[in-house]
Amino acid sequence: MSLGPAATGAVQAGSPHRDRPQTARTARAGGIDLMIRVGAYVAVAVVLGYFSVAAHGFFSLSNVVNVVEQSAILGILAFGMTLVVIAGGMNVVSGGIDLSIAANMGVCAAVFATSINAGVSDPVAVALTLGAGLAIGAVNAFAVIGLGVLPLLATLAVMNVCIGAELVLTQNTVISAASPLISLMSSGTFLGISVYAWFLIVASALFIVLVQYTRWGLRLYAVGAHREAAHAAGLPIAKYQAASYVIAGLCGSLAALLSVARLSGSSPGANDNLLPVIVAALMGVVFSRRMVPTIGGTLLSALFIGFLANGFQLINVSSYWVNGVQGLLILAVVSMTSLTKRAGT
Amino acid sequence: MTATSRPPALSMRGITKAFGPVKALADADLRVERGTIHGLVGQNGAGKSTIIKILAGLFRPDRGTIEIDGEPQTHLNPRQVEARGIHIIHQDRLLVPTFTVGESLFLGHEGGFGAFGLLNRRRMQRQAGEALRRYFSGIDLPIEALIADLTTAQQKIVQITRALLNRPSILVLDEPTAALNKGEVDTLFTTLRGLRDEGISVIFISHYMQEIENLCDRVTILRNGKDVGTVDPRTTPIGDIVAMMIARDIKEMFPGRKRKIGAPALEIRDLTVKGKFEDVSLSVRRGEIVGITGLIGSGAKEFLQTIYGLRRADGGQVLIGGKRVVIDTPAKAVAHGVALVPEDRRSHGVALDLSIRENVTLSSLSRYGSMGFIHAGRERSGVDALIGELDVKAAGREVLVRKLSGGNQQKVVLAKWLSRESSVYLLDEPTVGVDVGSKVEIYQLLSRLAEKGAGILVLSTDLIELMGICDHLVVLYRGRVVAALRTAETDTDDVLKWATGAQASTRPDMPAATMPAS
Repeated sequence: MSLGPAATGAVQAGSPHRDRPQTARTARAGGIDLMIRVGAYVAVAVVLGYFSVAAHGFFSLSNVVNVVEQSAILGILAFGMTLVVIAGGMNVVSGGIDLSIAANMGVCAAVFATSINAGVSDPVAVALTLGAGLAIGAVNAFAVIGLGVLPLLATLAVMNVCIGAELVLTQNTVISAASPLISLMSSGTFLGISVYAWFLIVASALFIVLVQYTRWGLRLYAVGAHREAAHAAGLPIAKYQAASYVIAGLCGSLAALLSVARLSGSSPGANDNLLPVIVAALMGVVFSRRMVPTIGGTLLSALFIGFLANGFQLINVSSYWVNGVQGLLILAVVSMTSLTKRAGT
Repeated sequence: MTATSRPPALSMRGITKAFGPVKALADADLRVERGTIHGLVGQNGAGKSTIIKILAGLFRPDRGTIEIDGEPQTHLNPRQVEARGIHIIHQDRLLVPTFTVGESLFLGHEGGFGAFGLLNRRRMQRQAGEALRRYFSGIDLPIEALIADLTTAQQKIVQITRALLNRPSILVLDEPTAALNKGEVDTLFTTLRGLRDEGISVIFISHYMQEIENLCDRVTILRNGKDVGTVDPRTTPIGDIVAMMIARDIKEMFPGRKRKIGAPALEIRDLTVKGKFEDVSLSVRRGEIVGITGLIGSGAKEFLQTIYGLRRADGGQVLIGGKRVVIDTPAKAVAHGVALVPEDRRSHGVALDLSIRENVTLSSLSRYGSMGFIHAGRERSGVDALIGELDVKAAGREVLVRKLSGGNQQKVVLAKWLSRESSVYLLDEPTVGVDVGSKVEIYQLLSRLAEKGAGILVLSTDLIELMGICDHLVVLYRGRVVAALRTAETDTDDVLKWATGAQASTRPDMPAATMPAS
């Protein structure tokens, strides 16, 4: 209370909130963050610990390698999703999300398989596939940034277009494909590590550098976390957000290459990957100090989901349960993040 | 001061800007010399923010010329403005909550931190530390901390440091001290004086006249879109500056007190919340405005919250209209005709993204409809009447509250409760961040409410305000009532002594429960 008789003329001289520091986030919210983070690690440890006891050979080298290989497709798709979430913000309704990314993989796999079967050379087929993925990403970017459609709806629509396009190309059948590249990818190894695993390792490294260690990555976070602040800092928000969708599209087509190699062709049902991809991207948040999506967190989550599915298999639980568990994980993660947000305001 | 031969750092002349029929600026001049701190004051709506937005390149003036360092500028856009060395620190803290201090300082200007777009985080953090030490030495600001974990004051400092890193020639600060405490304000002022001595011009917008007096070399007063004077605040009495702002004598700000005092509307007996306040008693009669004040930690705020059911009392009684009631939730308070106007209106008082109409009728929809349906016509005319009565300055009842000034937002909060016709009003710092003109209107409104028979309890730390509007004043010190005074028989000095504990409570017989009769 800085008011005294000297201030008689000063209508606003009293500044009542002077002595009251306002913390933007209460200590309690910080505590919740910590609890969630520790809780996440403990939960992961408990689940993996249980399987290591209950499922014979769960932590054997061959099984771990197997899980990593199986997780490559999920991981790469989830990286694309993570970028979109970073750039679009974590708001569950209006934030960034790419629901078309798994269906994108499906149609790209169909493009790859059919073009190989049409007698196209490997490099051309790869170029066509990646081009298809980029095009789908560009359509998403145009719908979200150009037309201003909510990402949730825009990418849902594009997802349906992708599913339709895949059906047109494949007539809902398995299309086998064989080529030198496909056999190299499915059976090749380097330093004793399979091509699938290499894909995941290299993609993780590239994305970690891009997102966590470059100016571009820092700005991507700014754009998603506080649009006005990014704008005030002179950043072209639209370009960053558009880029995230295009890169996600590219991730869809890269995953398609792996999927064709793994299944020796294109096969229906690619869109079943959507749920685990969302889980991996959102669950990754709980592994970061700032409670934001990170590539490292997404990678951990993708591997965790891989181990979960694998563990269920080993202890002979129907794989149908895995779907339910993933749904619960989404619910848990989303409610946790909204819990911290609420405590934070 | 600069030699007269050098052109001023900034010269805006004859600036006129209209929004539809409303003239925000009419032939306004602003001339800022190099190496000076130049205050800009005026009521909300006087044109302060419009002239700053024109300078920022966000609005284009209808007429007028702008010269920076003597060079005429045409069609300023935000990027050019920055290139000319003008940096504006807006009231909103535009910082990314999940970023560290270092990242926030350099976002958008990370360049030079490594090749290929790679970030050199270590260097970034080091330079951030150097910058903070240079401009805000003595303020503890961990550079690894996340923005979300900082106090609003610390965030403000980050924002200012961010602008200073760009070596501005003109720095514009829009209400920078609103969230800072005394020590932080002093540090900021030292920094600004240092910048001035380096030849940087500072434009400083504030509602706090003492700050203008302490800091500024010149001050330009805006009223109704026109500059009505540029004076030296160190030699011009503050009263004169305020008079120029409002074109009215300060004594006229407060409404006369010719109210009829009736039966007790609110009686509090020995209310206690352990650790916050103890055995606090007071009564507010119909037609009476009672003030309650105290330093931070006096328990006054908690006391108000307890009456409204936001806190659970550990003991004591609350009587409304003579009847004993138990209020342990805000819903019960509302049901008993008790209204609370909270201090932080942005987070508690109004829904920013709803219209004025929706905000006003939100808690009283039943009055405007039947069987769950809203009678739109009745609602519209009711809201229009309240907007008119409170003189809310807006283009219409459908305007989003977010777009209103602080004073007008506060009026919407008041309108919301008026629309319920409560019998007891609790107000927590009703005029914080509100311009002088709106303050006067709020005072008049409170006075009218009392005239209509409501009992009003105002918590404020603005003693002039309390002396001006209240009949009685209760002073809390460390959770206890130390004085119950009639405002007619005391002065701010006396109240301040009680509130700060300088005057020990040596009157155990002081009947706190019963106010001196008027």
